[in-house]
Amino acid sequence: MKFVLTKSTWVFLALALAYLALAVFVTNSYYQLILTLVLIWAAFGLSWNILSGYTGLISFGHASFFGIGAFATVLAQIYLSISPWIMVFISGFIGVAVALVIGLPTFRLRGHYFALSMLAYPLAFMYVFLWLGFPEVSVPHVRDNPAAYMQFSDGRIYTLIAMVFLICVVLVSRAIESSRFGMALIAIKQNEAAAEAAGIDALRWKLKAIALSGAIAAMAGSLYAIVILVITPQSVFGMLVSAQALTVAMFGGVGTLWGPLIGAGFLIPVAEILHAELGNVLPGIQGVVYGLAIVILITLAPEGVYWKVRDWVRKARAPQADRSPAEAGSGTSEIAPTEGPPRAIAPEIVLDVRNMSKNFGGLSAVQDVSFRVNQGMILGIIGPNGAGKTTLFNLLNGFQVPTAGEVLVNGTDMARRKPHELCRAGVGRTFQVMRPFTRMSVRDNVRVGAYVRAASEAEAADIAADALTQVGLLPIADRLAGELSTRDLRLMELARALAGGPHILLLDETLAGLGRDESADVVEVIKRLSASGITIVIIEHTMHAMVHLVDRFLVLDHGQVIMEGPPAQVTKDPRVIEAYLGKKWRANAED
Amino acid sequence: MLSLIGKQVAAVLAGAAMVVAATGAQAQSAPKPVQIGLITPLSGIYARPGTVMKMGAELAIADVNKAGGIACMGGAPLELVVVDSGDTIEKATNAAQRMIADYPDLVGATGAYLSSFTLAASEVTERANLPLLTLSYSDQITNRGFRNIFQTSATAGVQAQLALPIILDLAEKQSGKRPKTVAIITDNTAASIASVKRMKEGLLKDVGLDLVVEEVFTPPLSDATALVQQVRQKRPDLLFFLPTVISDSKLILEKMKEFRVNVPVISFGIAIAEPEVLNTMQAEMLENVMSAVANWGTKGEEGLIKRMKDVYGEPWMTQNAISTYGDIWLFKDALEKSCSRDRAALGDAFRKLDAGPSKYYPGGILSFDEKGHRKGASLTIIQWQKGVPVTIFPEDLALAKPVWPSK
Repeated sequence: MKFVLTKSTWVFLALALAYLALAVFVTNSYYQLILTLVLIWAAFGLSWNILSGYTGLISFGHASFFGIGAFATVLAQIYLSISPWIMVFISGFIGVAVALVIGLPTFRLRGHYFALSMLAYPLAFMYVFLWLGFPEVSVPHVRDNPAAYMQFSDGRIYTLIAMVFLICVVLVSRAIESSRFGMALIAIKQNEAAAEAAGIDALRWKLKAIALSGAIAAMAGSLYAIVILVITPQSVFGMLVSAQALTVAMFGGVGTLWGPLIGAGFLIPVAEILHAELGNVLPGIQGVVYGLAIVILITLAPEGVYWKVRDWVRKARAPQADRSPAEAGSGTSEIAPTEGPPRAIAPEIVLDVRNMSKNFGGLSAVQDVSFRVNQGMILGIIGPNGAGKTTLFNLLNGFQVPTAGEVLVNGTDMARRKPHELCRAGVGRTFQVMRPFTRMSVRDNVRVGAYVRAASEAEAADIAADALTQVGLLPIADRLAGELSTRDLRLMELARALAGGPHILLLDETLAGLGRDESADVVEVIKRLSASGITIVIIEHTMHAMVHLVDRFLVLDHGQVIMEGPPAQVTKDPRVIEAYLGKKWRANAED
Repeated sequence: MLSLIGKQVAAVLAGAAMVVAATGAQAQSAPKPVQIGLITPLSGIYARPGTVMKMGAELAIADVNKAGGIACMGGAPLELVVVDSGDTIEKATNAAQRMIADYPDLVGATGAYLSSFTLAASEVTERANLPLLTLSYSDQITNRGFRNIFQTSATAGVQAQLALPIILDLAEKQSGKRPKTVAIITDNTAASIASVKRMKEGLLKDVGLDLVVEEVFTPPLSDATALVQQVRQKRPDLLFFLPTVISDSKLILEKMKEFRVNVPVISFGIAIAEPEVLNTMQAEMLENVMSAVANWGTKGEEGLIKRMKDVYGEPWMTQNAISTYGDIWLFKDALEKSCSRDRAALGDAFRKLDAGPSKYYPGGILSFDEKGHRKGASLTIIQWQKGVPVTIFPEDLALAKPVWPSK
């Protein structure tokens, strides 16, 4: 609970109490209803946020869960006389079941495809319920002991029930945000490939997220049916319901629990009051309000009110807070060059690649590549553009499936495994195009990598601090990754890979885009890591910085190994020179 | 002198007293109006029938107030509160909630035209203990154990039960052949569904009709080709047609003409007999089409029918106008009995009401059973004759003789 009861949680609880105090003085039954609906839509928005806000997979179909919960509750009371007090919770379980059934096939899709297919589910449900003969169902009116069926003549009791529900949802969201669950989801949102490389099993976390999200949405739907009395397939599975979740969350701010609260607290009363006051004169005024809200929002604050306000506040505070690291240069500790004795290579083979091939249709990107890497060695893979270096790398760490061949890691064949499994097996990687989680701090970026082996939050924090120390980034650990220079981002990626505790580290063009001095800094860090016993395989396009770093080179051209050997030998080899510079230069080199 | 002054003072005082008394009497003769709600669609695809209900209510309010208002409450006049129920079930529920919240002085209401809307609105009024009169006739309305809903029309099931033998007898008498097969085209609103359900659960069998086609659609229709094709292929002796939206009646009748499907059409409900039908259809296309409706302008109501024409330009008196007109008079009867502005007391008065033979609804008496059905409620059957839908049944209320549509 210590992660849950932070300052912002107390702020929320205080606001909740104030809201209830306000509700006590509202006697108009319609306004009581609005006060309750605000809370239900806020909870529904939060449920959407748990899936779409954190993972970035936009769901246009949250009405599926909402509607199922609503219909389950009403139909159970009509046909089985089950009290809504019980059905609210059963709806939660039904929501989980529906979410898993929907999630398993749909998570194969990404981006727009995911969003569009989610759109289809509530539409299907709508027609199924019409076909089942439920164009309109209403909560049966209970005369004897109505409270046992969650029926109260005082609308304020519904507000209280909805508030209790919302508080629970907020605490759950809070717990997710501050745990590895939330970190994993945010990592997936910011960069699914990097998250997988950092050891996160994306599908499993996404299924957990949709299950929880579905449960909360179904419970919200259940409460909605109870207070609104009459439901139709259109009113609970309709496009406007899914849009409602999206609108309140996106208006308030995606990816934070404050978002849906702000969104629902503002949009629902405004729309409902306009509808109540002007509905007779201007029917459909709510729709206009939503439309305008979305247009204004997308223009002025695409990430939502919360983030916009937070950026303003940060800017206002920036003059004091952000100076110090800027004055201290890049803010990282000095990296002293290591002048070690000549390196001894251990005889154990930790990575053994045999006859690896990869075809893309008719194109052979990698052909029959074999090589071995000894414990503690630094192997440089070089080759001109298009030589197949990155494809080879992706084959090594599971991002692509080889057409043929084996990758033995400590004697076990790991080809055709998922990236997060390779990460667990001790193979870490960085990316050619940097993939930081920009909205997270440097420390949290690294922490995501630590979850692979950390048993607790505290241990993850320790591992992250340790990895940051190794690369010299500890002094700027609390800055947002989005603010870093290229050099620091490279180092942060190294730290994130290190946090997974790898014994083999695959570095993809780690020196690309760095100046001579920056490059030297990163080379030093890599040398230190190697000295600490980690085996390193590094891809580079250019050779100059590598000559002083690697123990051996592997030279690729047109997907084939053309040469393997120590730097001194490789740089003089005519085949290498030809591959890089063309036949003309080969002739010169031979002279 | 003193005595003179005394007399004068006394006279002045007496005069003042008389003035006070007179004002008092005036205040008493104009007590606060009693509010009655009309919740009905005034926007969207059902706005037209809702507007006609409002006309009927306004005429009746004027008549009741002209006749002295509620006598036992010092002649308190009735005041109409109109709430737009919109064109969806969600809007109707929401409108009912706003009506309850915004008009705490309301003693009762009538509405909400479409059975689906009435079902929704009554969920709210029932919980608020507000008596709701309704002309909607889905059986479901009075099957929920509600105490504050009063259905003035015969239910859909009862209407179908009454109508089928009459229609078949008429067919046999006029065409010499008793129909054997029937097709049903119905929309999926609550009242239509209730009628069809009863027909399929025995009524058709009772009159020896074989159901050969059944097509259900969601209003409003965009194209009727598929529906009419079905009927054309099966060539039934009769077509039962249950629309609630005028444009749907038009689409289907037009398509039937286009495809030369000459099956006698018996409609249920008033969507085929609204004056607007003539805006988009030729009267000859409608000639002889019959419809079973809950209520219609009948013999004895010629005065009212004329007033509808003079005041609002309505060519004839539909169920919506006449039933709502009757509802307001029924409120007067019950208010005279409860003699109170209290909703619960008015509800009691309706439950115990026995105001004699029905005046503005077909058949039965002005009294309700424990479920809220009007006792002995019957229906009217109307037929398009020379461009006007006229009442042809019950015979004592009929304005014209029936004609069987020739194939």
